[in-house]
Amino acid sequence: MSAMESPPQAELHAPAGPRVLPQVRGWLPEPAWRADISSVYVHIPFCRHRCGYCSFTVAAGRDDLVPPFLEAIARELALWPLGPPLKTLYWGGGTPSHISLQAADQLAAELFHRFPADGLVEWTVEANPSDVTDEWCRQMAQRGVTRISLGVQSFDEGKLRFLERDHTGRTAREAARAVHRAGLVLSVDLIFAVPGESLSLWKHDLQEACSLEPHHLSTYALTWEPGTRFYAALKKGRVTAVAEDQEAQMYEWAIEYLQDRGWQQYEVSNFALSGYRCRHNELYWTGGNYLGFGPGAASHRRGYRWMNHRSLWNYLRRLRSGQSPIAEWEVLSPESMARERLVFGLRRCDGVDRRWFAVQTGFELEPFLAPVYDLWLAWGLLEDDGQSVRLTRRGLMVSDAILPELL
Amino acid sequence: MSFDPQHIRNFCIIAHVDHGKSTLADRLLEKTGTVEARQMRDQILDDLELERQRGITIKARAVAMHYEHEGELYELNLIDTPGHVDFQYEVSRSLACCEGAILVVDAVQGVEAQTVANAFLAMDNELAIIPVINKIDLRAARVDEVLQEMQHSLGIDPKEVLLVSAKTGQGVDQLLQAVVTRLPPPAGDPQGPLQAMVFDSHYDEYRGAVVYVRLMSGRIEVGQKVRFLKAGVTHEVAELGKFRPRMTAFPALETGEVGYLIANIKSLDQVHIGDTVTSVQQPAPALPGYRRPKRMVYCGLYPADGQEFNELREALEKLSINDPSFEFVPETSDALGPGFRCGFLGLLHMEIIQQRLEREADLDLVQTAPNVIYEIVTRSGEVIEVHRPQEVPDAGQIAEFRQPMVRVSMIVPSEAIGSVMKLCQDRRGEPQSTEYLSPTRAMLIYHMPLAEVIYDLHDKLKSVTRGYGTMDYEFIGYAPADLVRVDILVNGKRVDALSFICHRSDAERRGRAVVKKLKNELDRHLFEIAVQAAIGSRVIARETVPALRKNVTAKCYGGDITRKRKLWAKQREGKKRLKSIGNVDISQRAFMAVLESGSES
Ligand SMILES: Nc1nc2c(ncn2[C@@H]2O[C@H](COP(=O)(O)OP(=O)(O)OP(=O)(O)O)[C@@H](O)[C@H]2O)c(=O)[nH]1
Ligand code: SF4
Ligand SMILES: [Mg+2]
Repeated sequence: MSAMESPPQAELHAPAGPRVLPQVRGWLPEPAWRADISSVYVHIPFCRHRCGYCSFTVAAGRDDLVPPFLEAIARELALWPLGPPLKTLYWGGGTPSHISLQAADQLAAELFHRFPADGLVEWTVEANPSDVTDEWCRQMAQRGVTRISLGVQSFDEGKLRFLERDHTGRTAREAARAVHRAGLVLSVDLIFAVPGESLSLWKHDLQEACSLEPHHLSTYALTWEPGTRFYAALKKGRVTAVAEDQEAQMYEWAIEYLQDRGWQQYEVSNFALSGYRCRHNELYWTGGNYLGFGPGAASHRRGYRWMNHRSLWNYLRRLRSGQSPIAEWEVLSPESMARERLVFGLRRCDGVDRRWFAVQTGFELEPFLAPVYDLWLAWGLLEDDGQSVRLTRRGLMVSDAILPELL
Repeated sequence: MSFDPQHIRNFCIIAHVDHGKSTLADRLLEKTGTVEARQMRDQILDDLELERQRGITIKARAVAMHYEHEGELYELNLIDTPGHVDFQYEVSRSLACCEGAILVVDAVQGVEAQTVANAFLAMDNELAIIPVINKIDLRAARVDEVLQEMQHSLGIDPKEVLLVSAKTGQGVDQLLQAVVTRLPPPAGDPQGPLQAMVFDSHYDEYRGAVVYVRLMSGRIEVGQKVRFLKAGVTHEVAELGKFRPRMTAFPALETGEVGYLIANIKSLDQVHIGDTVTSVQQPAPALPGYRRPKRMVYCGLYPADGQEFNELREALEKLSINDPSFEFVPETSDALGPGFRCGFLGLLHMEIIQQRLEREADLDLVQTAPNVIYEIVTRSGEVIEVHRPQEVPDAGQIAEFRQPMVRVSMIVPSEAIGSVMKLCQDRRGEPQSTEYLSPTRAMLIYHMPLAEVIYDLHDKLKSVTRGYGTMDYEFIGYAPADLVRVDILVNGKRVDALSFICHRSDAERRGRAVVKKLKNELDRHLFEIAVQAAIGSRVIARETVPALRKNVTAKCYGGDITRKRKLWAKQREGKKRLKSIGNVDISQRAFMAVLESGSES
């Protein structure tokens, strides 16, 4: 991967003028910046405090940086040519619900100036239960938000405290109801396999979540990311991770419980009622094109992948001084791109459709699969209905151990 | 300047490890003005990096000193020797070049195992002995008791013992006088034919082999044509000299003198320790040579990175040039790939070689558990030597399985006798004798399998005697024993590098330990893995690594895609480098962990 540092030209135009020359030209190879991308992610890196397991780009307790951030985002947006109407928009973080309504308005205005919002079919905003009130939900709905992804994580006070979350089970329940009342699509995030967590605690969390009647559920096994406080504690032996077998048991139980209740698992950690999959996220898994704005945000267009500087300060400084926010970019050969589509496609429960694959990549699926095909079928890791191939439950559960073989 | 034999004394200093030989040598060099005070540093003769670092002598050294006694000048040739058992052969070589020995005993430690071994070696070689108690400056010195111990264990008359401190120099003058008055001059006819003994050598990058010689009779000159009787080659002498302590050239060496010879010899292979150098015109008979040191311990050395096989070979070749006492032959292990089977004089020797390889050649090594050489008499009556466990034939073909036995002598504090006896019994030792050297110390003699000794006896002895026990061992021969080869199987496939030989009654305990360790080191696979220890087809221990149940990244959004793809691609590459046995990928780290645990189980 090559890193593009200082651009040849450094002068930066005022934010949000109409016909600005797209500066991004000098920083990315030309095919990457064509203005045909209709999905956008915005990273809003603010949180009240940092949770011990979190490795996202976050500036905890630095609300003073919101204005410079908005200014930087505006500059970043201005680097791009006018885009086509947006189809999906995702505000993630951090905690997008943490910034004020005015700030959110300012951000939306900049964004829609560049990418018209008329055709928007899905606009997700991630929210912390403590921030979510009826009023907030109403305001969001008014602006065109369609979907709230609520960071519930658990309803159990002990588990929430362990995870260093600032809300209670009750706050979470109230927030969910508020989202419903505003007529927004509700997605609930849960975490399982937290040290000390029993299967029955997990069952209880999941049952509670279901009782809130969300449209969408994400269940994440706790991950120990290097650089987090949790990770350090694990390495020092101050906490013990849940044993593999128990974690597997929790995961399998969730899959079965939800399936029995009419949920569709459509990706490793994601479940939806019919018609409520997250379209934006599906783009990530199917090799779609998307643009990311904000620190650490990633973008992809037809084999070109790039990513912004992760540190908020770096990101702000670079944009202020007319430097590229892009930390690194790479271009994948058509074959690598095809392999990537296969590997990440197999994390989806629909699997990979042969015809779709051929159309998208220009390659037949068979040669890529051939080295493992018989073995995986024989071991019950893979299923093939003639039209598409998909991992079995067992295959999905050990996918990190087997998917690398396809790369 | 050359000396007539009457004015030459050749002697060595022998002692148990750390009793102060090298420090005493420092004092002798200083008092005789061989080394100027400002060039002096501690243990000046220990110039190998490893020697300085570990504070022990590994290679014997020779140095020529001048000393005036009653108005006459003498040449004193001192040979410093290592004290550690592994380097015993260096001691015997030095002894053959000397007429006398200074036997050093530490005033605090007293007589120890190698004191006894080395003293008897000197007596067997009919050397005159000057017994010395060193470190008398120490407050804990217990001179009277040590005198008693020397009398008991070695039959030394307390009146003959000199008291010195190599640290302060106290008593060193008397010692130098004793060297002249008590040690005999070299015998041998200065007018006779040239007869010199090769007692050591080292390799000099620019000048080739430097051969250490002691002249038994006659004289040798630069330019002379000489013959190496055993090697059967003739060379012209290019340079002669003495160690003072640096190599200093002399035009000739005389009867009784010790020095070096350079003759444009390109490789140390052509220099046989114990060979006789004589003149081409007037040849003398060959001297009795030394026995080549016996390699007692074998292990496999493999490059941790299979790519580095050639580097490892070069490094081994380079090392063996200066240390012909270890040997190596290429071997291939299914599990570890290509590597070498190496023979060493003992465990310390093995450790030292490994360290030198890792440091000097910057190689990461995997070392298999050390083993001894076994002898097997097959049903057809053939005797085969087994250098590694894999070579043991099937039980049906074995008429007799023999292992090397050693005579171990241990000197231990009296109160530890009980635990030492227990230890020896556990290690299948047969008691030979117990003798009190003083009311507080005793010498125990056992016959024991060498395998048990190298396994962990020394460490265990130290621990049951709180560091005070010392031991020494000598090879006494092969004896039949109820031995078996234990194989370690992973999903039914034998992992050759992990096979070991042990006594039948230990097989289960040790097999279980290895199997357990290996189980913990193996990553879970998509299938269950059976890890077994077996004698032939009989399984004696089994563990199971359950199949992998869950390994899946929970979150995979925008930026995670690139990160994951790269990580997985790297994983895939890494996996290619793993050794795969019975479809099970075993990391180098796993092998190492199991091999390291070998000595604990
Ligand atoms: N106090 C005191 N210490 C001494 C004396 N002689 C030697 N030592 C110390 O004892 C330790 C061992 O001395 P060395 O001269 O290296 O012993 P060595 O016998 O040559 O050891 P190896 O060659 O390894 O067998 C060193 O720390 C010396 O400083 C002495 O007379 N008095
Ligand atoms: S609220 Fe979310 S983004 Fe913020 S620190 Fe906690 S886990 Fe990270
Ligand atoms: Mg020494």
